[in-house]
Amino acid sequence: MNTNLRQTLGAVLAAGCALAALPWLLSDFLLSLALSCLMYVALASSWAMFSGATHYLSLATSAFFGIGAYVTAWGLGTLPYALAVPLGGVIAALFAALVGAAVLHLRGAYFAVLTFGLGELVRHAITYFEKTYAKTVGRVLTEVPEAATVYLTVLAIAVAAVAANAAVRTSRFGLALAGVGADEERAQTLGVNTRQAKIAGFALSAFFAGALGAAIAVRWTYIEPLSVFNPFIGFQTVLIAMIGGAQTLAGPVASAVVFSLATELLRLQFPYAYLMLLGLLLIVLVLYLPGGIGSLLKGRWARA
Amino acid sequence: MGVSMGFWLELAASGLITGGIYALVALGLNLQYGLMRIMNISHGEFLMLGAYLTWLAHTVLGVNPLLSLPAVALALFVLGLVVYRLCFRAIARGAPSVEVIEARSLLIGFGLMYLVQNAALMAWGADLRGYSFLTEVVEVGGARFAGNRLLAFGFAVAASLALLALLRWTIVGKAVRAMMQSPTGAQLVGIDTAVLHPVVFGAGLALAGVAGGLLSMVYEITPSMGEPYTVTALIVIVLGGLGSAAGCLAGGLLLGLVEAFGMHFTSPSLKMLLSYGVFIAVLLARPKGLFSR
Amino acid sequence: MHQATAVKTLVAALLAAVLAPAWAQDAPVRIGYAIARSGPWALGAQLTQEPNYILWADQVNAAGGLSVKGKKRKVELVGFDDRSDAETVVRTYEKLMGSDKVDLILPPWGTGANFAVMPVVQKFGYPMIAPTATGRKLLGMKNPYFFAILQQPDRMMNALAEFLKARNVQTAAMIHVDELFGLEQAGALEEAFKEKGIRIIEKKSYPLGVKDLKPVLNDIKAKNPDAFIALSYPPDTFLVTAQARELAFNPAAFYAAVGTAFPVYRDKMGPAAEGVMGLGTWNPKMSAAAKSYFDAHVAKFNKQPDRWASAHAYAALQVMQRAVEKAGLDRKALRDAIANGEFDTIIGKIRFRNGENVTTPGVVSQWQSGEFEVVWPPDRATSPALHPKPAWR
Repeated sequence: MNTNLRQTLGAVLAAGCALAALPWLLSDFLLSLALSCLMYVALASSWAMFSGATHYLSLATSAFFGIGAYVTAWGLGTLPYALAVPLGGVIAALFAALVGAAVLHLRGAYFAVLTFGLGELVRHAITYFEKTYAKTVGRVLTEVPEAATVYLTVLAIAVAAVAANAAVRTSRFGLALAGVGADEERAQTLGVNTRQAKIAGFALSAFFAGALGAAIAVRWTYIEPLSVFNPFIGFQTVLIAMIGGAQTLAGPVASAVVFSLATELLRLQFPYAYLMLLGLLLIVLVLYLPGGIGSLLKGRWARA
Repeated sequence: MGVSMGFWLELAASGLITGGIYALVALGLNLQYGLMRIMNISHGEFLMLGAYLTWLAHTVLGVNPLLSLPAVALALFVLGLVVYRLCFRAIARGAPSVEVIEARSLLIGFGLMYLVQNAALMAWGADLRGYSFLTEVVEVGGARFAGNRLLAFGFAVAASLALLALLRWTIVGKAVRAMMQSPTGAQLVGIDTAVLHPVVFGAGLALAGVAGGLLSMVYEITPSMGEPYTVTALIVIVLGGLGSAAGCLAGGLLLGLVEAFGMHFTSPSLKMLLSYGVFIAVLLARPKGLFSR
Repeated sequence: MHQATAVKTLVAALLAAVLAPAWAQDAPVRIGYAIARSGPWALGAQLTQEPNYILWADQVNAAGGLSVKGKKRKVELVGFDDRSDAETVVRTYEKLMGSDKVDLILPPWGTGANFAVMPVVQKFGYPMIAPTATGRKLLGMKNPYFFAILQQPDRMMNALAEFLKARNVQTAAMIHVDELFGLEQAGALEEAFKEKGIRIIEKKSYPLGVKDLKPVLNDIKAKNPDAFIALSYPPDTFLVTAQARELAFNPAAFYAAVGTAFPVYRDKMGPAAEGVMGLGTWNPKMSAAAKSYFDAHVAKFNKQPDRWASAHAYAALQVMQRAVEKAGLDRKALRDAIANGEFDTIIGKIRFRNGENVTTPGVVSQWQSGEFEVVWPPDRATSPALHPKPAWR
């Protein structure tokens, strides 16, 4: 393991430990806000890990998040929370691998289109399944873990996602993904198994989204397809990662925090206009700063 | 159950009508992608604008919706020119590769989607709007259809055929096809992208707006009505082969038929799964779409 | 110098004049809520719920303020957009109750959002009266601070079954939307019909957002039921009406659940709405209070309230108002006052038992000549029912 990576991982872990104290320092609302920031740190980092490197724009984050949420909805009665969360990640990853194996050989545009509707597809599938076999559509969670437990779980996932992003970027696997993004055919002729790399990358990023869904769903008491497969989650993830700079490590992290805080402030102050401002912001950024804010940063944190 | 030939015909007709509407919506997006590789995810939002404009003209000014369609087309064409100039022109110029153009236009489309949808929300509120037009039932060969649905279908087919004719037989059409096949070659021959691109983009939005106007006669109008049509339009153009207008029409009709028959034999709840199943199956068998060159 | 002193005195006097009223006034009663202003829930929330919050607050302030145990204080609404997102709902109410410590809260729109708020409401102990939440599961959580003022599915479906039985309806076909609402209503309907001896000869479901129901309707038309019931949401309600008309499918009784109570249903369907039944509780003809509520709503928003949950939303505020008058702003006392009291509202008397409104009966309403008349139960009816339903126009 090279020194750069070791230092990066150390910093990430240290930050994680510091943030672990928050449940005892903040009010409910501020803790929820922190939770929201961490959620997007994890989502944006894991998204950037795959889509940033390979340029295969995935709009499927909402689908994986929702799958994880449903694993909790189905499993929390029989499994402990500590198991349901990683299980949510694993099932989302398996699903991603399956979908990936079927469609990752397609060009970027087809792939993006497919992932765009994937959330809808999974939602309808789950609705059908629930309605036909379970004779219900929504699930009520009666025994849920405490707010502090949920927070610490999400913190752990965020730390893991950033660490994974850092580790992948310096590994052979990460180089393969970057190769796919730079020139897929050339990578193939150079001997990279691009198909396997893509599927693995897609699945790995899905794992974090799924685990997050499984962890956070307990906060809503009631899980139903319409609310857990919320396309806005996917949109915000892409937006945050692109603003931050999907090819960098710190970009998505900083962007997630700033963005979550800014949206909350805007929502509270400009209740009607903030979504328009968000859309405008994305357009302006893509036009004038396509590399994201991360491309402005120099040094280690830009390349790590 | 006494299922007659007439029943199947009506089922097929129902599917074709829905499919025709899908094709109409997809036509505009197809032009934009085929020519400029612009993946305009906000396409449905302009459909929604067309619907609102038609509704406004009808309820506030008392204008017959059919008459306001050309005005809506013009308004959205001009809007398209503006949107292209502000948002998409820079991408086409500055991008190192086609994939990057697609990726960036996708993201801009995302931004536009939220911008336009929420502007509509602020302007007209979240309430359902609707009006009644041409709901009289028309009997065609023993089957009964609402006049407005038939109109939408008829228009979809007519527009597709007109577009096909335009592309094949007019100078402008040939220029567009030339650009689609080989951008550099076309420029060498003197075809001016600076004029063609905005015009085609505007035409795409105009088609979306007209589709919205037609749909406003049949369905209710809300600021969020556009998104499902975007998803369907994307499926249709991929099915039919990106850039092929004939493929667009065929893909849309096919999708409508698959949905109608699929829902009958299985259950309406599986509609989305069916559409996606067809989508994936076609892409696996013919990765470039059914009708691509 | 004389000039300087004069100026200082003048400034002091002006300041006193400006600030004095503020000092003399009490702090306003702060009422917080999160509600959908964007996203899928916004349609219902902006038609049925938030306008009533604003209307009520305006009326209360115009009358001098909310009476808190005899003392009048102005009301200040503190509302935020929840973006139709459960996480935002939770976080916003944590802010309102935990950090901002508002005096009272009002509920968000819809069953899903109300589920999400339940634990927060219980933790901070704020009573909440919800006009757009339904479902056994919700009440099954036995949250002492939660009150559902809308009729629950079994109540509405029993009323429908009674109405149909009184008209000698023997067979029925039913379709429902694939959402919790549709499922619960369907379950309640099946039970009610079984009890009354009405045979369900066809039952189908469909996903929300379906664009074509003709194949399903054709199947049902061929079976010729006495009654057709669609347990549908607004988009499908409109679709099923338009398509049944297209097919000339005209059973003696035609019922579509949600959306029929919206004024836009009448606007869009035009004369085709005649004779269509659905979920509704009231109309302006029911009482003078109902009429003046209707007029005030139209005057303020230039649009009519819907004929079902809108009135429940306003009535919930009336209940809150009366309870605060008696019990003040102490939340525990307030909760008890709501749980044990009986209140007069625009939809009649309201009394809760175990969090459920047990005095407003299930109601069947029907469009007749441009108004959604109440046709069942007989003691609340504003017009006799049109049965069989006239032919589609």
